[in-house]
Parts: sequence; structure tokens; C-alpha cells
Amino acid sequence: MSKQIHLWAFLQGIGFYPTGWMHERARPEGVFSMDYYSYVARLAEKGRFDAIVFGDQLQSRGAGGRTPERMAMPTLDPMTLLTAMAAVTDHVGLVATISTTFNTPEMLAERFGTMERITGGRAGWNIVTSVHPDTAGNFGLDEMPPKETRYSNAADVVDKACELWAAMDRAGPHLNQGRPVLVQAGQSPAGREFAARTAEAIFCPAPSIEAGIDFRNDMRSRISGVGRNPDGTRVMPGLSCVLGGTEAEARANHKAIMDMASVELAIEYLSESLCCDLTSFDPNAKLPVEAILEKTLLPTADVGRMVTPAGEKGTSLRDFAMNFMLNPRGHNVFIGTPEQMADMMIEWRDAGACDGFTLQPSYMPGGLEDFVEGVIPILQQKGRYRTEYPGTTLRSTLGLPAYERTEA
Amino acid sequence: MTRPFILSAAIADPELAVPETAATYLAAADEAGLDLLLFGEAGGRPFDAQVLVAWAAPRSQRVGLVATVPASNAHPFHVARALSAVDFLSGGRTGWSVIPEGAAEGTAEDMVGAARSLWDGWGSDTLILDKASGRYLDASKVKASNYEGPFFKVTGPVNAMRPLLGQPVLVLDDAAPIAIKDADIALVSEATADAGATKSLLKVTLDTKVEDVAALFADGKIEGVHMSLSDPLAELPKLAALFAEQVAANPGGEGDLRARLGLPLASTASNQPDGAKIPEIA
Ligand SMILES: Cc1cc2nc3c(=O)[nH]c(=O)nc-3n(C[C@H](O)[C@H](O)[C@H](O)COP(=O)(O)O)c2cc1C
Repeated sequence: MSKQIHLWAFLQGIGFYPTGWMHERARPEGVFSMDYYSYVARLAEKGRFDAIVFGDQLQSRGAGGRTPERMAMPTLDPMTLLTAMAAVTDHVGLVATISTTFNTPEMLAERFGTMERITGGRAGWNIVTSVHPDTAGNFGLDEMPPKETRYSNAADVVDKACELWAAMDRAGPHLNQGRPVLVQAGQSPAGREFAARTAEAIFCPAPSIEAGIDFRNDMRSRISGVGRNPDGTRVMPGLSCVLGGTEAEARANHKAIMDMASVELAIEYLSESLCCDLTSFDPNAKLPVEAILEKTLLPTADVGRMVTPAGEKGTSLRDFAMNFMLNPRGHNVFIGTPEQMADMMIEWRDAGACDGFTLQPSYMPGGLEDFVEGVIPILQQKGRYRTEYPGTTLRSTLGLPAYERTEA
Repeated sequence: MTRPFILSAAIADPELAVPETAATYLAAADEAGLDLLLFGEAGGRPFDAQVLVAWAAPRSQRVGLVATVPASNAHPFHVARALSAVDFLSGGRTGWSVIPEGAAEGTAEDMVGAARSLWDGWGSDTLILDKASGRYLDASKVKASNYEGPFFKVTGPVNAMRPLLGQPVLVLDDAAPIAIKDADIALVSEATADAGATKSLLKVTLDTKVEDVAALFADGKIEGVHMSLSDPLAELPKLAALFAEQVAANPGGEGDLRARLGLPLASTASNQPDGAKIPEIA
């Protein structure tokens, strides 16, 4: 059988593009209603997605300084949304992003154990350590623990949570998967090492097929290196798309999304991403690199890599911000017809650049509708994507080996 | 002023976390006309109730969904967020009951204070959602909470929204008392003047004398009853039948849980009287 493609729907708030909520087929009011989540959950299940994933952040965006007015926030609690979506579906997996830095193993284990039970074995955990410096203040800390500490703590938290789930499983009611599927998205050496030891599925940004191949090979060798079977981990790079009946139409649809961007939104978005308020700077003046490096709360080396080249070229704040919003997170953005998209996905899969994709619809729910109606049937006709779910647990959908129960 | 006879019950059966069973319990609760269903209670909390009320939101129509939250194993930031989401998904039917469950004295009260200030960081009319002008919200309505209590220090506001109810209905249980004076509902073993809540519900069994309850209700000493269920499917219809006359004679209002039960947000509990308003989009 030719290599099958896995698909996850990554639905952070209102879609991939900061402008997405303004699209005529977006429903920004929907993110506050069950109707919307029922519709989206059933749509993902109709598209036979492995899982729906909600990303999550724990900072109160902008509260310390200036609250953005044009960005789609606030975002509701992912585990709550996913558990409610489980109540209106039967098969699709539900992966919640939860931080190991700001939850105890006991809290985590109880929440996820309950979610695992009530979803009948469809829970997954996107393990994050939280990055944003403003998160600390919401948990009584003055600053974030350094990355190395966060990852060594994450390893301890996961181990302890696994013990607690084993105990819950023994005590009953039984956990169908034994524990949630463990998912991770580390990029740094510490993050990748953690993923190699822990993850059964991995998210990553991969802007090109070569980047995908490099990342997957690196992860597979790291996984073998710690004595695990690399076939037990699915590598799922992010993928966004704007589709059209013809290439020209797709490009026009993409342009329409971009044209909704105001300079004010772009600068708010950049400010949030760089952790430094740029809204009072002249958009037509040069990118204020020194001020950014002085004011940012993020590691200055990381921010420097992002802004220094543009600063040297004399790019304006306006141009930099608008360009940044075109592709904010280094993911592959496909613009074209459903046929072309299906071919691209198959090419990546066959080249070993991924096991599947983490689809990030450009706006919601329209972007997901277009993909489910346009691309899924083609992948199915080509025999590269499931037409029915193989079982009821996320683990079975992912084709992962069953969880092995051990004695206490 | 709305003065319904309130029916409340608690389920602490571990099977409430199993989907098939949970579905039958929720249907029975709605069928019985229950106003409040507590997921877990002091001494019986074999699951994370915040997760179960999320599942229950689309699987129930009318019943208020009350999560029992242990102060020993929760953080107000997470709790405030989770319950805000449940409130949107349930259309304004959320409640919470904070129990110490082994936490140091004062932790439960601190959790209530912190969560309230997190929700209060958002004004009722913060959201604009105007696609044409590109304004999503009114930033002047968003305020840091800067809450600092003995156990929890939280900058805030919650990175979700103020709930539809403003704040979920807060339930106190005299089996696990906490020092809160402005809760919405108190579950009491005996009618008392200072139960710490807007309304008191008397704890009953199926053997309780209805006349006694009716007399206390008539005197304004209680506003309804609460029962801890051990066999929900058998007991819920019986509980409903026992108090059918009181319920029929004293119906609730229309609208969300607070409106229906006559529980306006106490002015000491919140910096504003209303819940979140979601703008209509053409
Ligand atoms: C596709 C993808 C989704 C992610 N989602 C989240 C998220 O929702 N919340 C979060 O705190 N971090 C998220 N991250 C960040 C990762 O957990 C991780 O911190 C990041 O990739 C940097 O790697 P490092 O931690 O090893 O430096 C995501 C990363 C990727 C690639």
C-alpha cells in the first residue's frame, strides 16, 4: 500500500492569518458559541482528520502595556473546547496544548485522565513549556525559568503524569488508550531531545520539502538514538493554504486576504510577536531596531536575528510588519488548486519530508471547508488517505502501537 | 423579583466520566427539571469536574453545570479560563463550587478572589468584532487584574473573555465551608440566616418531609433543595416528583442561569453587573 497521509487540523482561535477574522466567510462571533465548535468538529470528522489540535498561550496579551485592538483575541481554553467537541463527534482525535511549566503533574494528570475517559480514548497532549515572558506574571513569577530548566522539568512532569495515569487506569474506569497520545513541537536542541524521548507525534515548521526531510531525518535518528522505534512517531509539519479553482483564482483569493491587512494590524501583530510595543513609532520611518532590542522581553539574540538584516537594509516599519504578516510562523503556505495541493502533499510524503500535515486553515471555518471539500476527496481517490476511521481511539487512527499496560 | 423553587443535586459517581453513563445522567437531570447539577462534591470527586462540565455543555439543555473545584489541585488562572469557556459553550449555565480538599486554610478563598479579578479584567462590552473597520475589541475595556493574595499572585486579566454570566454561579457547601460572604448559592444542612450566599438550598433526602420544606420556603428561609445522589437514574425522577408542586407553583424566570434563578451578580463580587455581550454579526 502506498504511504498514507495523516492530517491534523490545528485551529488556534480564528485561523492562520491575523487578518482571517475579517474575511467574509469567517465567523469571529462563532468562537464564543457551541454551534460553531459543533460545526467545525463535525467538519473535521467528515474530512477524516486524525485529530483537531488547539494551540494555547498563557500570557494575557498586551495587558502589561497596550492591548491590541485589531487582533482576534481572546482565545478560549483548549481542553474545554476539545472536550465539548468530543461530545458531538465519535472518531476525531482531540489534542490539547498544555504547559508543563505552569501545571503540576497532579493537575495535568487529573484533567487529561478525565478527558481521556469522557472522550472514549481520543485525547492527545501537545506538551509545551511556554515561551512568552508575560506568562510568568500570571503564575506569581517575576520571570520565566530558562529553557534548559523548563525542558528538564517537562521530562519530570511527563514521567510523573504517566505514573498517575497508570494508577487511574488500574483504579478504573479504564482509560481506553492508557494515557493521552504525547505530542511535542520542540525546535531547539533541548526541545528536540525531549521530543525524541517522549513524542508520538511532532509538529514543526517546514517551509520547504528539503527542510521537512532534514527535520524528519534528524528526529528519526534522535529517536533511534534513545532506543525508540522511529516508526512510532508521526512527524507533522504545519501547512496553510489558500485554494482556488485555478491558480490565478487562488492567487486572487490570497491577495484578498492580504489586502484586508491594515498597517495598524500588522504593527500590532509584530508588536505581540516581538514582545515590544511598536504602535507609537512612525510606520514610514526605518524599522527601529535599537529600540526593539532594548525593549523586547524576548531573548535579544533571537529577536536580533529577525530584525537586524532588515534594519541594515533600511526597511520601513510598515514594510517589515506587512511582510512579517504574510508568513508569520515559517510554515509552508500553499497557494493553488486542490489538485496541485494534493500532488504537493503526496510528493512531500513520498520524499520522506513528513508523515502527514498539520493543516492551519487561513481563516475559519471557510478555509477548512475549502480543504475538506476540495483536497480530501482527491487524496482519497488517489488511495493516499483514509475514507473511514480504523477504530475509535486516536492511537488507532495514528496507526500507533497499542499502549502496553504494566503492573504497578 | 424572581423567586423560583430551586432543585439541585450532586453526582459523585466515577461513572460520570464515562460517556455512555454521563449521557444518561444528563438526560435524566434535564428531564427532572433540575436547576443545578454539581459534578462531584466534598468527599467525592473522582474526576476533574471542569472537564466534565465541558462535555456536558452540548449534551444538556437547561440544567446549570456546577464544577466542584479543589483548591488543592487547581490554579485560578486555569480555572477562570476553563469556566469562562464552559459558560460560552453552555449558553450561560455555568457554576462552580470551590472546596479546600486538603489545601492550606485560605487557599479556596484566595482562588475565588483571584478568579473573580481575572474575569473582571474584561468589560461586558469589550468585543466589537467589526469586520469593516477591523476593530476587534475596545482596548480601553481590558484591564490588568494585578491580584495579590496570600497564595496566588496573578497579573491577568484572564486571556479568555468575561463569561456570559459575568461570573459563574458560586456555590458553597457547608460540608466543606469556606469564608466567602457573597456567594450565590449555599447548600445547608439547616436553614441559617448567614449562610454566606444570596440563596440557601436545604440538603434533603427522599425521606424529607415536603411540608417542612414548604414551610421554610414560605418563610423565606430557604429557596429550594439539594440532594446528594447515589443512584442518579432512580433518584432524579423521585426528587422531581417529591417537589413537583413547589416547582410548579414557583417557576423560574427566562434567560441565562442567573436570570432564571434570580441571582444577580453581587456588587461586592464583581466590578460590573453584567456578563459578556457578543456583538451580532450581519
Ligand atoms: C506547529 C507548532 C505549534 C506550536 N504550538 C504552540 C502552542 O500552542 N503553545 C506554545 O506555548 N508553544 C507552541 N509551540 C512552540 C513549541 O512548543 C516550541 O517551544 C517551539 O517550537 C520552540 O522550540 P524550543 O522550545 O525547543 O525552543 C508550537 C510550535 C510549533 C512548531
